[in-house]
Amino acid sequence: MNTKYIIAAVVVIVLIASAAFVYTYYQGQTSDSGIEALQNLVDDHDYVTSLTAFPDRIISLAPSCTEILFAIDAGDKVVAVTDYCNYPYDFAAWIAAGNMTSVGGFQDPNVEVIASLNPDLILATGGIQAEIVESLRDLGYKVLVLDPTNIDGVLQNIELVGNATGKRAEATALVNDITSRIDAVANKVAGVESKPKVYYEVWFSAQSIWSVGAKGFETELIAKAGGVNIFENDSLDHFQTDSEVIISKNPDIILLPVGMETLGVETPFWVSFDTVKARPAWDSISAVQNDKLYQIDGDAIQRAGPRMADMIETLAEIFHSELF
Amino acid sequence: MSKSEVESTYSKRASRWKLIIFLLIIALVVTVIASLNVGYYGISFEDILKILGKQIPFLNTFVDYTPKLPGDPAVLLLVRLPRIIAGVLVGAALAASGVLFQGIFRNPMADPFVIGVSSGASVGAALATLFAAGFAFFGIGAIQIAAFASALITIFFVYNISRVGSRVPVMTLLLSGLAVTFFSSAIVTLLQFLSGKELFAIVAWLAGGFSNVNWLAIWAITPFILIGTVAAYFYARDLNLLALGEDTAQNLGVDIERVKKILLFLGSMVTAAAVSISGLIGFVGLIIPHMTRLVIGPDHRILLPTSTIIGAIFLVVCDDVARMMTGSIMGSLQLPVGVVTALSGAPFFVYLLRRKKTRYAL
Repeated sequence: MNTKYIIAAVVVIVLIASAAFVYTYYQGQTSDSGIEALQNLVDDHDYVTSLTAFPDRIISLAPSCTEILFAIDAGDKVVAVTDYCNYPYDFAAWIAAGNMTSVGGFQDPNVEVIASLNPDLILATGGIQAEIVESLRDLGYKVLVLDPTNIDGVLQNIELVGNATGKRAEATALVNDITSRIDAVANKVAGVESKPKVYYEVWFSAQSIWSVGAKGFETELIAKAGGVNIFENDSLDHFQTDSEVIISKNPDIILLPVGMETLGVETPFWVSFDTVKARPAWDSISAVQNDKLYQIDGDAIQRAGPRMADMIETLAEIFHSELF
Repeated sequence: MSKSEVESTYSKRASRWKLIIFLLIIALVVTVIASLNVGYYGISFEDILKILGKQIPFLNTFVDYTPKLPGDPAVLLLVRLPRIIAGVLVGAALAASGVLFQGIFRNPMADPFVIGVSSGASVGAALATLFAAGFAFFGIGAIQIAAFASALITIFFVYNISRVGSRVPVMTLLLSGLAVTFFSSAIVTLLQFLSGKELFAIVAWLAGGFSNVNWLAIWAITPFILIGTVAAYFYARDLNLLALGEDTAQNLGVDIERVKKILLFLGSMVTAAAVSISGLIGFVGLIIPHMTRLVIGPDHRILLPTSTIIGAIFLVVCDDVARMMTGSIMGSLQLPVGVVTALSGAPFFVYLLRRKKTRYAL
């Protein structure tokens, strides 16, 4: 008699447990569709946005935002980009052909163009866009600010945009891919005896030399690739320095950006490797003596976007060619 | 006062002036040599003197110098020295043309940039930055050439729109200079808007500086500045008479239209040459002539040469301050020299102005 009750009790418990399991499992399934992930999206400025449906008309106000949207397969929802967006597609050609709308520049996106497109989500960045973000929010638009300060911040941005656009799986896959590639590079360069001192030039003219300090995104990418930015002890972002400082710090490698010219000028500001080598007294720099000047994609190194892993791999091959 | 009394007062004054100029030249030379010791790159003053000695013919056989670092002596001779010489030339040019423009316009607000040289130059510089950054003709950068050329074109334009018959009234000149300045500043702002990364270079140009200047750029501007300032000196007497008013000067035998034309051209040429390598360094051209006038007096025969030398010393010292702060308080950061000139000079000028008890006039 007792045994019967015990068996019955066990059966009931098992039934309830499985029902509960099945219930929570299907709960989980519905949550994977992502609708409630649209609630309480917290952006980099801790502004909380809630959407009611997956956005269909997204506007990107920064090249890095555009790159993230297209990398997680949300590109087909993008209705407008800036004039500076040039990756992963030639958006200038799209705009010229009428397949994409331009909101104008990066500092001065045209609010009337934005309003006429009736966007249900806008991605923007920090800094000079703070004012326009505020006025767009005052007009009732949903704006997410992506303003990361490091690699982890970019990965969080990708997750955030994934949540906001219903591309969670794609975002997670992208984050995993980037993380594992960065880790692979880190493992490879972990054992190296010496890390090269790296000088990354932001701009050079008769009036000024600009580089990047510890607060710059570029410094972290250089570090992940097994190099040391010569300005890593300067708690600065982009800043103006002096030729004497660079000569004294004697970098082993000089990185020169290409592909950032905006008005169709093909020649970069530094003209050619020979011109750089011929700068006054630069022949005493180790990188010049050993011919260690490299040109790199200026957009890819400074945009806080999904091309970080590509850039770190490229840099690691430059810094530690013997390992690759 | 009898004739002999006038003559003896004049000769006393003339010998005092000679002494002042001589002392200022000594001060300039000392400043230049002391400035060689200022900079991030580590090199001892003893080595600096040895390197300099090596450059002097005959003396060099007695100098025993061995380089210690790979950058020796190139950093001193190719980076630091040209930078100091650029400071001398630009400071001298801006202060000299400041005196000329204040004299022509009889206006304390006049400076080398008053009739649009600076804004004209910045249009050229910004255009060259966007479309030809890094290009060079015979080694001289496109930005430098474009800035110089567009400054002179702007002045030619301003002069011609101000002309009424054969005369050029200073009021019209000032106002058309103002209009052209606003117009070209708008063009520069527009170009900044259209620019991407080049914004760095345009901003740096507008802030002023000559940190990456090379010898070729200096040789290119030296004749303009030398000829311009020396030639202007011969009109110092006319400027004195002009200070009494154009009509009075005319009655005293000054061909004022001709003098104005020549001095406007000389001042603009000197400014354009300076600005072409330094970008817009404000303050020097406006305040150094006033400072000198407060101390030396308003006579252009002494005001012009002393202002010129003091301008040179002042800018070299300001650039020293910028270099000194790099490596100590600022880390690897370097302030644009234009920031230092205004930050350090303006309070000193206010001090001089307050100290002067008598009424100050041009």
